[in-house]
Amino acid sequence: MELAIDIKDLKKSYKNTLALNGIDLQIKKGQFYGLLGPNGAGKTTTIGIITGLVKLEEGSVSIFGKDIIKDFRYTRSKIGVSPQDFNSDWFFSIEKLLLFQAGYYGIPSSNAKPIVEKIMKKLGIYEKRKNKIRSLSGGMKRRFQIAKALVNDPDILIMDEPTAGVDVELRHMLWDYLKEMHKNGKTILLTTHYIEEAEKLCDYVSIINEGKIVSEGKPEELIQSVGKGSIDVELNKMNKSKLDFLEPFKYTLSTKEDMDKIIFSVNNPEKSLPKIIDILTKNNCELNNVRILKPNLEDVFVSLTGRKIND
Amino acid sequence: MINWIGFSTLTYREISRFFSVWRQTIVPGLITSGLYMIIFGLTLQKRISEIDGVSYTIYILPGLIMMNVITNALNNTASSMLQMKLLQQMQDMLITPLSNFEMALAFIIGGTLRGFINGILVLLLGMFLVQMPVEKPLLVLFLLFIVSWAFSSAGLLVGILSETWDNIATILNFFVTPLIFLGGVFYSIDMLPPFWRQISLVNPIYYVINGLRYSILNIGDTSFSISIIMTIFMTIVFTSISIWLFKIGFRIKN
Repeated sequence: MELAIDIKDLKKSYKNTLALNGIDLQIKKGQFYGLLGPNGAGKTTTIGIITGLVKLEEGSVSIFGKDIIKDFRYTRSKIGVSPQDFNSDWFFSIEKLLLFQAGYYGIPSSNAKPIVEKIMKKLGIYEKRKNKIRSLSGGMKRRFQIAKALVNDPDILIMDEPTAGVDVELRHMLWDYLKEMHKNGKTILLTTHYIEEAEKLCDYVSIINEGKIVSEGKPEELIQSVGKGSIDVELNKMNKSKLDFLEPFKYTLSTKEDMDKIIFSVNNPEKSLPKIIDILTKNNCELNNVRILKPNLEDVFVSLTGRKIND
Repeated sequence: MINWIGFSTLTYREISRFFSVWRQTIVPGLITSGLYMIIFGLTLQKRISEIDGVSYTIYILPGLIMMNVITNALNNTASSMLQMKLLQQMQDMLITPLSNFEMALAFIIGGTLRGFINGILVLLLGMFLVQMPVEKPLLVLFLLFIVSWAFSSAGLLVGILSETWDNIATILNFFVTPLIFLGGVFYSIDMLPPFWRQISLVNPIYYVINGLRYSILNIGDTSFSISIIMTIFMTIVFTSISIWLFKIGFRIKN
Protein backbone atom coordinates (compact mmCIF):
# COMPACT_ATOMS: atom_id res chain seq x y z
CA MET A 1 0.00 0.00 0.00
CA GLU A 2 1.11 3.55 -0.76
CA LEU A 3 2.89 5.33 2.07
CA ALA A 4 1.37 8.64 3.11
CA ILE A 5 4.25 9.51 5.43
CA ASP A 6 7.66 7.91 5.33
CA ILE A 7 10.11 8.97 8.02
CA LYS A 8 13.63 7.63 8.04
CA ASP A 9 16.22 7.95 10.77
CA LEU A 10 15.00 11.29 12.08
CA LYS A 11 17.34 12.95 14.56
CA LYS A 12 16.96 16.28 16.26
CA SER A 13 18.53 17.98 19.22
CA TYR A 14 17.84 21.22 21.07
CA LYS A 15 21.05 22.63 22.51
CA ASN A 16 22.33 19.71 24.56
CA THR A 17 19.10 17.72 24.62
CA LEU A 18 18.54 14.91 22.14
CA ALA A 19 14.85 15.22 21.21
CA LEU A 20 14.71 12.57 18.47
CA ASN A 21 17.17 9.74 18.27
CA GLY A 22 16.60 7.98 14.97
CA ILE A 23 12.85 7.83 14.41
CA ASP A 24 11.53 5.58 11.64
CA LEU A 25 7.82 5.67 10.83
CA GLN A 26 5.91 4.37 7.86
CA ILE A 27 2.30 5.51 7.77
CA LYS A 28 0.15 3.97 5.10
CA LYS A 29 -2.43 5.88 3.14
CA GLY A 30 -5.79 5.69 4.93
CA GLN A 31 -4.32 4.61 8.23
CA PHE A 32 -5.38 6.07 11.58
CA TYR A 33 -1.97 6.19 13.15
CA GLY A 34 -1.32 6.93 16.77
CA LEU A 35 1.93 8.26 18.15
CA LEU A 36 1.70 7.54 21.82
CA GLY A 37 4.11 8.76 24.41
CA PRO A 38 4.56 10.87 27.51
CA ASN A 39 5.15 14.62 27.44
CA GLY A 40 8.60 15.38 26.10
CA ALA A 41 8.91 12.06 24.30
CA GLY A 42 9.39 13.68 20.88
CA LYS A 43 5.85 13.58 19.44
CA THR A 44 5.51 17.31 18.79
CA THR A 45 9.04 17.58 17.43
CA THR A 46 8.31 14.76 14.97
CA ILE A 47 5.16 16.52 13.84
CA GLY A 48 7.00 19.84 13.70
CA ILE A 49 9.54 18.40 11.30
CA ILE A 50 6.88 16.80 9.08
CA THR A 51 5.01 20.09 8.81
CA GLY A 52 7.95 22.45 8.45
CA LEU A 53 7.72 24.10 11.87
CA VAL A 54 10.95 22.55 13.07
CA LYS A 55 14.20 22.42 11.13
CA LEU A 56 15.18 18.98 9.90
CA GLU A 57 18.67 18.07 11.09
CA GLU A 58 19.23 14.46 10.11
CA GLY A 59 17.14 11.89 8.30
CA SER A 60 14.42 12.29 5.72
CA VAL A 61 10.66 12.71 5.55
CA SER A 62 8.52 12.02 2.47
CA ILE A 63 4.85 12.70 1.94
CA PHE A 64 3.33 10.47 -0.74
CA GLY A 65 6.86 9.84 -1.99
CA LYS A 66 7.90 13.51 -2.18
CA ASP A 67 10.57 15.07 -0.01
CA ILE A 68 9.33 17.68 2.49
CA ILE A 69 12.22 20.04 1.74
CA LYS A 70 12.56 19.79 -2.04
CA ASP A 71 8.84 19.52 -2.72
CA PHE A 72 7.55 21.52 0.22
CA ARG A 73 4.71 23.12 -1.76
CA TYR A 74 3.33 19.71 -2.71
CA THR A 75 3.87 18.07 0.66
CA ARG A 76 2.42 20.94 2.70
CA SER A 77 -0.62 21.17 0.45
CA LYS A 78 -1.38 17.53 1.35
CA ILE A 79 -1.26 18.12 5.10
CA GLY A 80 -3.58 19.79 7.59
CA VAL A 81 -2.28 20.38 11.09
CA SER A 82 -4.01 21.00 14.36
CA PRO A 83 -1.25 22.06 16.76
CA GLN A 84 -1.35 21.30 20.44
CA ASP A 85 -1.08 24.91 21.58
CA PHE A 86 -3.69 27.54 20.84
CA ASN A 87 -2.56 30.66 19.09
CA SER A 88 -4.24 34.04 19.13
CA ASP A 89 -4.91 37.05 16.96
CA TRP A 90 -5.88 40.56 18.00
CA PHE A 91 -7.21 41.85 14.73
CA PHE A 92 -9.41 39.42 12.81
CA SER A 93 -12.53 37.32 13.35
CA ILE A 94 -12.19 33.56 13.26
CA GLU A 95 -14.02 33.45 9.93
CA LYS A 96 -11.51 35.87 8.42
CA LEU A 97 -8.62 33.86 9.87
CA LEU A 98 -9.96 30.67 8.28
CA LEU A 99 -10.30 32.45 4.94
CA PHE A 100 -6.72 33.68 5.26
CA GLN A 101 -5.59 30.16 6.08
CA ALA A 102 -7.30 28.82 2.97
CA GLY A 103 -5.67 31.62 0.97
CA TYR A 104 -2.18 30.61 2.13
CA TYR A 105 -2.91 27.19 0.64
CA GLY A 106 -3.67 28.86 -2.67
CA ILE A 107 -7.46 28.63 -2.44
CA PRO A 108 -9.12 31.76 -3.85
CA SER A 109 -11.43 33.60 -1.47
CA SER A 110 -14.53 32.88 -3.59
CA ASN A 111 -13.88 29.11 -3.39
CA ALA A 112 -12.82 29.23 0.25
CA LYS A 113 -15.99 30.89 1.54
CA PRO A 114 -18.35 27.89 1.14
CA ILE A 115 -15.65 25.51 2.39
CA VAL A 116 -15.03 27.58 5.51
CA GLU A 117 -18.74 27.97 6.16
CA LYS A 118 -19.30 24.22 5.90
CA ILE A 119 -16.44 23.42 8.27
CA MET A 120 -17.57 26.01 10.81
CA LYS A 121 -21.09 24.59 10.78
CA LYS A 122 -19.83 21.04 11.12
CA LEU A 123 -17.64 21.92 14.09
CA GLY A 124 -20.24 24.10 15.77
CA ILE A 125 -18.41 27.43 15.56
CA TYR A 126 -20.51 29.09 12.86
CA GLU A 127 -22.42 31.19 15.38
CA LYS A 128 -19.11 32.51 16.70
CA ARG A 129 -17.70 33.33 13.26
CA LYS A 130 -17.49 37.08 13.89
CA ASN A 131 -15.73 36.61 17.22
CA LYS A 132 -12.04 36.99 17.81
CA ILE A 133 -10.08 34.04 19.16
CA ARG A 134 -9.54 35.56 22.59
CA SER A 135 -13.29 35.67 23.23
CA LEU A 136 -13.71 31.91 22.60
CA SER A 137 -13.84 29.29 25.32
CA GLY A 138 -11.16 26.58 25.43
CA GLY A 139 -13.42 24.09 23.68
CA MET A 140 -14.30 26.58 20.95
CA LYS A 141 -10.65 27.40 20.47
CA ARG A 142 -9.94 23.71 19.98
CA ARG A 143 -12.73 23.44 17.39
CA PHE A 144 -11.30 26.48 15.60
CA GLN A 145 -7.86 24.89 15.67
CA ILE A 146 -9.25 21.78 14.00
CA ALA A 147 -11.20 23.88 11.48
CA LYS A 148 -7.93 25.50 10.43
CA ALA A 149 -6.47 22.08 9.76
CA LEU A 150 -9.34 21.25 7.43
CA VAL A 151 -9.60 24.33 5.19
CA ASN A 152 -7.33 22.87 2.49
CA ASP A 153 -9.17 19.53 2.48
CA PRO A 154 -5.92 17.69 3.25
CA ASP A 155 -5.25 14.02 2.51
CA ILE A 156 -3.28 13.79 5.74
CA LEU A 157 -4.55 15.20 9.01
CA ILE A 158 -2.04 15.67 11.76
CA MET A 159 -3.63 16.12 15.16
CA ASP A 160 -1.31 17.01 17.99
CA GLU A 161 -3.13 16.23 21.24
CA PRO A 162 -6.47 17.33 19.77
CA THR A 163 -8.45 16.65 22.91
CA ALA A 164 -6.03 18.12 25.43
CA GLY A 165 -7.93 20.26 27.91
CA VAL A 166 -11.42 19.69 26.51
CA ASP A 167 -14.43 18.37 28.39
CA VAL A 168 -15.68 14.82 28.00
CA GLU A 169 -18.57 15.79 25.74
CA LEU A 170 -16.39 17.63 23.28
CA ARG A 171 -13.80 14.89 23.43
CA HIS A 172 -16.37 12.35 22.28
CA MET A 173 -17.68 14.70 19.62
CA LEU A 174 -14.14 15.19 18.29
CA TRP A 175 -13.52 11.46 18.35
CA ASP A 176 -16.66 10.88 16.29
CA TYR A 177 -15.58 13.60 13.88
CA LEU A 178 -12.12 12.11 13.48
CA LYS A 179 -13.62 8.68 12.92
CA GLU A 180 -15.83 10.15 10.21
CA MET A 181 -12.83 11.82 8.58
CA HIS A 182 -10.97 8.54 8.64
CA LYS A 183 -13.94 6.74 7.14
CA ASN A 184 -13.93 9.29 4.34
CA GLY A 185 -10.42 8.26 3.44
CA LYS A 186 -8.19 10.70 5.33
CA THR A 187 -4.91 9.47 6.70
CA ILE A 188 -4.71 10.61 10.29
CA LEU A 189 -1.65 10.94 12.46
CA LEU A 190 -2.70 11.46 16.04
CA THR A 191 -0.38 12.19 18.91
CA THR A 192 -1.77 11.69 22.34
CA HIS A 193 -0.90 10.71 25.84
CA TYR A 194 -4.48 9.56 26.45
CA ILE A 195 -4.42 5.79 26.34
CA GLU A 196 -8.15 5.49 25.78
CA GLU A 197 -7.97 7.84 22.81
CA ALA A 198 -5.29 5.83 21.08
CA GLU A 199 -7.08 2.53 21.75
CA LYS A 200 -10.45 3.80 20.56
CA LEU A 201 -9.32 5.55 17.40
CA CYS A 202 -6.09 4.19 16.05
CA ASP A 203 -5.63 1.15 13.89
CA TYR A 204 -1.87 1.31 14.29
CA VAL A 205 0.18 2.70 17.13
CA SER A 206 3.80 3.59 17.70
CA ILE A 207 5.01 4.10 21.22
CA ILE A 208 7.62 6.79 21.52
CA ASN A 209 9.81 7.39 24.52
CA GLU A 210 12.86 9.59 24.93
CA GLY A 211 13.05 10.28 21.21
CA LYS A 212 12.87 6.66 20.13
CA ILE A 213 10.15 4.36 18.86
CA VAL A 214 10.10 1.59 21.44
CA SER A 215 7.32 -0.48 19.92
CA GLU A 216 4.75 -0.39 17.15
CA GLY A 217 1.86 -2.43 15.90
CA LYS A 218 -1.90 -2.74 15.98
CA PRO A 219 -3.18 -1.79 19.45
CA GLU A 220 -4.62 -5.26 20.10
CA GLU A 221 -1.38 -6.93 19.04
CA LEU A 222 0.65 -4.68 21.31
CA ILE A 223 -1.70 -5.39 24.20
CA GLN A 224 -1.53 -9.13 23.56
CA SER A 225 2.23 -8.94 23.49
CA VAL A 226 2.32 -7.93 27.17
CA GLY A 227 -0.22 -10.64 27.83
CA LYS A 228 -1.43 -10.52 31.35
CA GLY A 229 -4.87 -9.51 32.35
CA SER A 230 -6.72 -10.57 35.44
CA ILE A 231 -10.09 -11.61 36.81
CA ASP A 232 -10.82 -10.51 40.37
CA VAL A 233 -13.42 -12.58 42.13
CA GLU A 234 -14.82 -11.69 45.54
CA LEU A 235 -16.61 -14.51 47.33
CA ASN A 236 -17.95 -15.47 50.71
CA LYS A 237 -15.58 -17.30 52.96
CA MET A 238 -14.60 -20.58 51.44
CA ASN A 239 -13.00 -23.71 52.67
CA LYS A 240 -9.35 -23.07 52.04
CA SER A 241 -8.35 -26.69 52.65
CA LYS A 242 -10.14 -27.73 49.49
CA LEU A 243 -8.67 -25.52 46.82
CA ASP A 244 -7.33 -28.30 44.56
CA PHE A 245 -9.87 -27.40 41.90
CA LEU A 246 -8.04 -24.08 41.35
CA GLU A 247 -4.79 -25.82 40.43
CA PRO A 248 -5.11 -25.33 36.66
CA PHE A 249 -5.02 -21.55 37.25
CA LYS A 250 -2.42 -19.07 38.26
CA TYR A 251 -3.97 -17.15 41.14
CA THR A 252 -3.44 -15.32 44.40
CA LEU A 253 -5.79 -15.57 47.35
CA SER A 254 -6.37 -12.88 49.93
CA THR A 255 -8.77 -12.51 52.80
CA LYS A 256 -10.42 -9.36 53.97
CA GLU A 257 -12.89 -9.32 56.87
CA ASP A 258 -15.60 -11.82 55.92
CA MET A 259 -14.61 -12.03 52.25
CA ASP A 260 -12.08 -13.93 50.20
CA LYS A 261 -10.62 -12.50 47.08
CA ILE A 262 -9.03 -14.52 44.32
CA ILE A 263 -7.10 -12.78 41.56
CA PHE A 264 -6.70 -15.00 38.51
CA SER A 265 -3.86 -14.07 36.23
CA VAL A 266 -4.89 -14.89 32.65
CA ASN A 267 -3.83 -13.98 29.12
CA ASN A 268 -7.31 -13.41 27.79
CA PRO A 269 -9.70 -12.49 30.61
CA GLU A 270 -12.86 -12.51 28.49
CA LYS A 271 -12.14 -16.01 27.22
CA SER A 272 -11.22 -17.40 30.63
CA LEU A 273 -14.11 -15.85 32.54
CA PRO A 274 -16.85 -18.49 31.81
CA LYS A 275 -14.48 -21.33 32.68
CA ILE A 276 -13.51 -19.74 36.02
CA ILE A 277 -17.11 -18.99 37.01
CA ASP A 278 -18.12 -22.50 36.03
CA ILE A 279 -15.45 -24.11 38.22
CA LEU A 280 -16.15 -21.83 41.18
CA THR A 281 -19.89 -22.45 41.15
CA LYS A 282 -19.44 -26.18 40.66
CA ASN A 283 -17.32 -26.15 43.82
CA ASN A 284 -20.01 -24.36 45.79
CA CYS A 285 -18.30 -20.99 46.02
CA GLU A 286 -20.65 -18.06 46.61
CA LEU A 287 -19.64 -15.28 44.24
CA ASN A 288 -20.20 -11.70 45.35
CA ASN A 289 -18.45 -9.72 42.69
CA VAL A 290 -16.47 -10.38 39.52
CA ARG A 291 -14.24 -7.82 37.86
CA ILE A 292 -12.24 -8.14 34.67
CA LEU A 293 -9.00 -6.20 34.38
CA LYS A 294 -7.84 -6.17 30.79
CA PRO A 295 -4.35 -5.03 29.83
CA ASN A 296 -4.19 -1.81 27.84
CA LEU A 297 -1.63 0.28 26.05
CA GLU A 298 -0.61 1.76 29.38
CA ASP A 299 0.55 -1.72 30.41
CA VAL A 300 2.40 -1.99 27.14
CA PHE A 301 4.11 1.31 27.87
CA VAL A 302 4.95 0.29 31.43
CA SER A 303 6.35 -3.06 30.31
CA LEU A 304 8.54 -1.31 27.75
CA THR A 305 9.76 1.66 29.75
CA GLY A 306 9.22 0.77 33.38
CA ARG A 307 7.08 3.89 34.02
CA LYS A 308 3.56 5.12 33.42
CA ILE A 309 2.79 7.28 30.41
CA ASN A 310 1.43 10.20 32.40
CA ASP A 311 4.07 10.13 35.16
CA MET B 1 6.41 28.56 -9.22
CA ILE B 2 5.07 31.28 -6.98
CA ASN B 3 2.07 30.75 -4.72
CA TRP B 4 0.39 33.95 -5.91
CA ILE B 5 -2.85 33.48 -4.01
CA GLY B 6 -1.02 32.66 -0.77
CA PHE B 7 1.33 35.58 -1.24
CA SER B 8 -1.44 38.07 -2.01
CA THR B 9 -3.50 36.74 0.93
CA LEU B 10 -0.68 37.35 3.38
CA THR B 11 0.05 40.75 1.85
CA TYR B 12 -3.63 41.65 2.13
CA ARG B 13 -3.65 40.47 5.74
CA GLU B 14 -0.63 42.61 6.58
CA ILE B 15 -2.24 45.67 4.99
CA SER B 16 -5.64 45.02 6.59
CA ARG B 17 -3.93 44.63 9.94
CA PHE B 18 -2.65 48.19 10.10
CA PHE B 19 -5.73 49.65 8.42
CA SER B 20 -7.95 47.97 11.02
CA VAL B 21 -6.21 50.07 13.70
CA TRP B 22 -5.84 53.28 11.67
CA ARG B 23 -6.19 55.40 14.81
CA GLN B 24 -2.89 53.90 15.96
CA THR B 25 -1.13 53.57 12.63
CA ILE B 26 -2.21 56.46 10.41
CA VAL B 27 -3.58 59.33 12.48
CA PRO B 28 -0.83 59.80 15.15
CA GLY B 29 1.84 60.57 12.54
CA LEU B 30 -0.35 63.26 11.05
CA ILE B 31 -1.11 64.84 14.40
CA THR B 32 2.52 64.76 15.55
CA SER B 33 3.76 66.25 12.29
CA GLY B 34 1.08 68.95 12.42
CA LEU B 35 2.18 69.82 15.95
CA TYR B 36 5.84 69.90 14.92
CA MET B 37 4.92 72.27 12.09
CA ILE B 38 2.99 74.57 14.39
CA ILE B 39 5.18 74.51 17.48
CA PHE B 40 8.69 74.12 16.05
CA GLY B 41 8.05 75.89 12.80
CA LEU B 42 6.06 78.87 13.96
CA THR B 43 8.02 79.48 17.16
CA LEU B 44 11.54 78.85 15.89
CA GLN B 45 10.86 80.64 12.63
CA LYS B 46 11.07 83.90 14.56
CA ARG B 47 14.70 83.07 15.38
CA ILE B 48 15.65 81.13 12.24
CA SER B 49 13.77 82.84 9.48
CA GLU B 50 15.34 80.96 6.56
CA ILE B 51 17.71 78.14 5.77
CA ASP B 52 19.08 77.91 2.20
CA GLY B 53 16.50 80.43 1.08
CA VAL B 54 13.35 78.65 2.36
CA SER B 55 11.33 79.38 5.48
CA TYR B 56 12.21 77.29 8.52
CA THR B 57 8.74 75.72 8.72
CA ILE B 58 9.00 74.46 5.16
CA TYR B 59 12.66 73.48 5.62
CA ILE B 60 11.83 70.98 8.38
CA LEU B 61 8.95 69.37 6.48
CA PRO B 62 10.95 66.84 4.39
CA GLY B 63 12.59 65.67 7.62
CA LEU B 64 9.22 65.33 9.32
CA ILE B 65 7.90 63.35 6.37
CA MET B 66 10.88 61.00 6.48
CA MET B 67 10.58 60.65 10.24
CA ASN B 68 7.03 59.41 9.73
CA VAL B 69 7.95 57.14 6.88
CA ILE B 70 10.82 55.54 8.77
CA THR B 71 9.09 55.02 12.11
CA ASN B 72 5.85 53.73 10.58
CA ALA B 73 7.48 51.36 8.10
CA LEU B 74 9.87 50.01 10.72
CA ASN B 75 7.27 49.70 13.44
CA ASN B 76 4.83 47.89 11.19
CA THR B 77 7.00 44.94 10.24
CA ALA B 78 8.82 44.77 13.56
CA SER B 79 5.62 44.64 15.61
CA SER B 80 3.79 42.38 13.18
CA MET B 81 6.66 39.91 13.12
CA LEU B 82 7.15 39.85 16.87
CA GLN B 83 3.42 39.62 17.50
CA MET B 84 3.15 36.65 15.17
CA LYS B 85 5.98 34.93 17.00
CA LEU B 86 4.64 35.67 20.48
CA LEU B 87 1.03 34.78 19.66
CA GLN B 88 2.17 31.69 17.76
CA GLN B 89 0.60 32.84 14.52
CA MET B 90 3.76 32.13 12.53
CA GLN B 91 3.05 28.42 12.61
CA ASP B 92 -0.18 28.98 10.66
CA MET B 93 1.94 30.27 7.80
CA LEU B 94 4.95 28.02 8.14
CA ILE B 95 2.86 24.88 7.61
CA THR B 96 1.41 26.16 4.32
CA PRO B 97 2.85 26.05 0.80
CA LEU B 98 4.14 29.61 1.12
CA SER B 99 7.88 29.94 0.65
CA ASN B 100 9.87 31.89 3.24
CA PHE B 101 10.73 34.41 0.52
CA GLU B 102 7.04 35.01 -0.23
CA MET B 103 6.29 35.45 3.46
CA ALA B 104 9.15 37.91 3.98
CA LEU B 105 8.09 39.88 0.90
CA ALA B 106 4.48 40.10 2.08
CA PHE B 107 5.61 41.49 5.44
CA ILE B 108 7.87 44.02 3.74
CA ILE B 109 5.10 45.17 1.38
CA GLY B 110 2.73 45.69 4.33
CA GLY B 111 5.25 47.89 6.13
CA THR B 112 6.17 49.72 2.93
CA LEU B 113 2.57 50.66 2.29
CA ARG B 114 2.11 51.96 5.82
CA GLY B 115 5.29 54.05 5.60
CA PHE B 116 4.34 55.32 2.14
CA ILE B 117 0.79 56.29 3.14
CA ASN B 118 2.04 58.10 6.22
CA GLY B 119 4.63 59.93 4.14
CA ILE B 120 2.08 61.01 1.53
CA LEU B 121 -0.36 62.21 4.20
CA VAL B 122 2.24 64.38 5.94
CA LEU B 123 3.34 65.68 2.54
CA LEU B 124 -0.25 66.67 1.75
CA LEU B 125 -0.62 68.19 5.20
CA GLY B 126 2.47 70.32 4.57
CA MET B 127 1.19 71.37 1.16
CA PHE B 128 -2.14 72.30 2.72
CA LEU B 129 -0.97 73.90 5.99
CA VAL B 130 2.15 75.80 4.94
CA GLN B 131 1.88 75.75 1.14
CA MET B 132 5.00 73.65 0.76
CA PRO B 133 6.07 73.46 -2.89
CA VAL B 134 6.98 70.08 -4.43
CA GLU B 135 9.67 70.60 -7.01
CA LYS B 136 10.13 67.01 -8.27
CA PRO B 137 6.95 65.05 -7.52
CA LEU B 138 7.98 61.78 -9.20
CA LEU B 139 11.27 61.76 -7.39
CA VAL B 140 9.44 62.44 -4.14
CA LEU B 141 7.15 59.45 -4.73
CA PHE B 142 10.13 57.26 -5.61
CA LEU B 143 12.01 58.29 -2.47
CA LEU B 144 9.01 57.80 -0.21
CA PHE B 145 8.54 54.34 -1.67
CA ILE B 146 12.14 53.19 -1.51
CA VAL B 147 12.72 54.54 2.00
CA SER B 148 9.50 52.89 3.16
CA TRP B 149 10.76 49.63 1.65
CA ALA B 150 14.20 49.99 3.24
CA PHE B 151 12.87 50.60 6.73
CA SER B 152 10.10 48.07 6.39
CA SER B 153 12.87 45.54 5.68
CA ALA B 154 14.83 46.90 8.64
CA GLY B 155 11.70 46.45 10.74
CA LEU B 156 11.44 42.84 9.62
CA LEU B 157 15.03 42.36 10.68
CA VAL B 158 14.28 43.90 14.07
CA GLY B 159 11.14 41.74 14.43
CA ILE B 160 13.08 38.57 13.62
CA LEU B 161 15.86 39.38 16.06
CA SER B 162 13.55 40.53 18.85
CA GLU B 163 12.11 38.19 21.41
CA THR B 164 10.25 40.71 23.55
CA TRP B 165 8.54 44.08 23.06
CA ASP B 166 11.35 45.52 25.12
CA ASN B 167 13.85 44.53 22.43
CA ILE B 168 11.92 46.50 19.81
CA ALA B 169 11.53 49.52 22.09
CA THR B 170 15.25 49.47 22.82
CA ILE B 171 16.16 49.52 19.13
CA LEU B 172 13.66 52.27 18.37
CA ASN B 173 14.45 54.48 21.36
CA PHE B 174 18.19 54.08 21.54
CA PHE B 175 19.13 53.78 17.88
CA VAL B 176 16.47 54.77 15.36
CA THR B 177 15.02 57.88 17.03
CA PRO B 178 18.43 59.45 17.83
CA LEU B 179 19.61 58.74 14.28
CA ILE B 180 16.50 60.43 12.87
CA PHE B 181 16.86 63.51 15.07
CA LEU B 182 20.58 63.70 14.35
CA GLY B 183 19.92 63.22 10.64
CA GLY B 184 19.12 66.87 10.02
CA VAL B 185 15.36 66.90 10.44
CA PHE B 186 15.38 70.30 12.15
CA TYR B 187 18.63 71.81 10.89
CA SER B 188 21.13 71.92 8.10
CA ILE B 189 24.36 70.10 8.93
CA ASP B 190 26.16 73.18 7.64
CA MET B 191 25.01 74.81 10.89
CA LEU B 192 26.97 72.25 12.94
CA PRO B 193 30.59 72.50 14.11
CA PRO B 194 32.99 70.52 11.82
CA PHE B 195 33.27 67.54 14.19
CA TRP B 196 29.50 66.99 14.46
CA ARG B 197 29.16 67.61 10.74
CA GLN B 198 31.53 64.70 10.08
CA ILE B 199 29.56 62.54 12.53
CA SER B 200 26.33 63.37 10.70
CA LEU B 201 27.84 62.17 7.44
CA VAL B 202 28.08 58.60 8.75
CA ASN B 203 24.41 58.61 9.74
CA PRO B 204 22.54 56.84 6.91
CA ILE B 205 19.28 58.58 7.81
CA TYR B 206 20.87 61.92 7.04
CA TYR B 207 21.08 60.91 3.37
CA VAL B 208 17.40 59.92 3.03
CA ILE B 209 16.31 63.23 4.57
CA ASN B 210 18.74 65.17 2.40
CA GLY B 211 17.48 63.31 -0.70
CA LEU B 212 13.86 64.13 0.04
CA ARG B 213 14.66 67.75 0.88
CA TYR B 214 16.33 68.06 -2.50
CA SER B 215 13.37 66.45 -4.30
CA ILE B 216 10.82 68.67 -2.56
CA LEU B 217 12.68 71.98 -2.13
CA ASN B 218 15.55 71.65 -4.57
CA ILE B 219 18.08 72.30 -1.80
CA GLY B 220 20.48 70.04 0.06
CA ASP B 221 23.68 69.86 2.09
CA THR B 222 25.12 66.95 0.14
CA SER B 223 24.95 65.88 -3.50
CA PHE B 224 21.65 64.24 -4.43
CA SER B 225 23.46 61.40 -6.21
CA ILE B 226 25.21 60.41 -2.99
CA SER B 227 21.88 60.48 -1.16
CA ILE B 228 20.27 58.23 -3.75
CA ILE B 229 23.21 55.81 -3.78
CA MET B 230 23.16 55.59 0.03
CA THR B 231 19.38 55.06 0.07
CA ILE B 232 19.52 52.30 -2.53
CA PHE B 233 22.50 50.70 -0.78
CA MET B 234 20.62 50.71 2.53
CA THR B 235 17.53 49.23 0.88
CA ILE B 236 19.54 46.40 -0.65
CA VAL B 237 21.36 45.63 2.62
CA PHE B 238 18.24 45.62 4.83
CA THR B 239 16.17 43.68 2.31
CA SER B 240 18.84 41.03 1.72
CA ILE B 241 19.60 40.43 5.39
CA SER B 242 15.96 40.28 6.49
CA ILE B 243 14.96 37.92 3.68
CA TRP B 244 17.99 35.74 4.33
CA LEU B 245 17.22 35.49 8.05
CA PHE B 246 13.61 34.65 7.23
CA LYS B 247 14.76 32.03 4.75
CA ILE B 248 16.96 30.23 7.24
CA GLY B 249 14.19 30.49 9.84
CA PHE B 250 16.38 32.36 12.35
CA ARG B 251 14.37 32.68 15.59
CA ILE B 252 11.29 31.71 13.57
CA LYS B 253 11.59 27.95 13.33
CA ASN B 254 12.70 25.81 16.26
